[in-house]
Amino acid sequence: MKVVECKELTKRYGKAKAINNLSFELTENKITGLIGRNGAGKTTLLKMIAGYLHHTSGDIQVFSENPFNNLKVSANSIFIDNGMSFSPSLTLEELLETSGEFYPNWDQRLAKRLFDYFSFNPLQSHVNLSKGMKSTFNMIIGLAARCPLTIFDEPTSGMDAGTRKDFYRALLKDYIAHPRTIILSSHLLSEVEDILEEILLIKNGEKLLHMPIEILKEYSIGISGKATAVSEWTSNKETIFTQSIGVDGSYVVIKNDCSLRDLEIARDIGLEVSSVSAEDVCTYLTSKTKEGIDHVFN
Amino acid sequence: MWCVGGDVRLILNSDSMKPIYVQVSEWLETEILNENIKCDEKVYSQYQLAEMFNINPATAAKGINILADENVLYKKRGLGMFVATEAREIILRKRKNTKLRSMVKELAKEAIQLNVEEEELLEMIRSLHQQMKGDLK
Repeated sequence: MKVVECKELTKRYGKAKAINNLSFELTENKITGLIGRNGAGKTTLLKMIAGYLHHTSGDIQVFSENPFNNLKVSANSIFIDNGMSFSPSLTLEELLETSGEFYPNWDQRLAKRLFDYFSFNPLQSHVNLSKGMKSTFNMIIGLAARCPLTIFDEPTSGMDAGTRKDFYRALLKDYIAHPRTIILSSHLLSEVEDILEEILLIKNGEKLLHMPIEILKEYSIGISGKATAVSEWTSNKETIFTQSIGVDGSYVVIKNDCSLRDLEIARDIGLEVSSVSAEDVCTYLTSKTKEGIDHVFN
Repeated sequence: MWCVGGDVRLILNSDSMKPIYVQVSEWLETEILNENIKCDEKVYSQYQLAEMFNINPATAAKGINILADENVLYKKRGLGMFVATEAREIILRKRKNTKLRSMVKELAKEAIQLNVEEEELLEMIRSLHQQMKGDLK
């Protein structure tokens, strides 16, 4: 079943296009990572899916309905980000109990156990929490709600390394026990890639790619060696990133559509072939120029 | 064409960069070789593997499917995946033909680059092989 379906979706803020002609589908019960640089349009897209924002043109369907102001979508989804505000007159413990009343699948036992594990003070107020503790508390709500569509927008911002790890493990364990559609936005792909099934990479509001994460890891390869040899061998291939190393060396990342024979030739003329991590591929694909930040200093 | 699956580790030849599903299937192979999972015994489900390795269940399933395609595992409808009778031989044959062979190729290449003669190289292998055998026992 398709949970989210966007066709030529566009969102403008004034003249600026935050989301531009975006088409994709998310099927049921997968964990999808929404990846993009700062300002790529991740939050705008997620807020449209959650029904918080109108789209400008194109079509967006969540559970086969237009999500904006939609009861079905609201009842079946939850949107977690660090801008969530809660009533200051309630304590954390009261907030946890009240939250349960909004979500039919709410697991109070899980909520309470996570709450205790992360050593929250039941009598404290949400506004007085540190940034990381706020994120952690919001995450507990997002997990315990067990909504068929669960959206986390940069859930780990402000969390320390240990809490991040705990969060991703908790998310995975609860997902295995209670499969549901999860969208997770992040700019730290290396941190989330292992638990993702699919990745949706956007740049300037446009889709760059949408594919299973395992395929992305084989999407490109790195070639290094003498600059002349590298540039000759890569001349008929799609270059994603280039960097010069030392006096006459260079490192080039190309799209991995070469045959085994091609790679053998590369090896034989002394080029080194290496794999490129998913995070690096995404960084190269979303960078402004093919040389990256080095371009500024040249 | 993308170079997918089993070929990748051959091409890339960089252990740490192996795709996770390949690492999962190799881990299962080692469990079978060590007889931690015996013939006709059930192997871990994709969900158990996902939890053990902290990875997406779909990735774990891909690791299991590699072994099913190679007839190391067989499926019992509704019950899960089981170790085939000939699993050990298949794994041993495969590792010899792919992993070991490509390692030897790298070795030969490095030896040539360093001007190490065949006899010297063989002697190195012989003595290390003896030593390792002793250590492993």
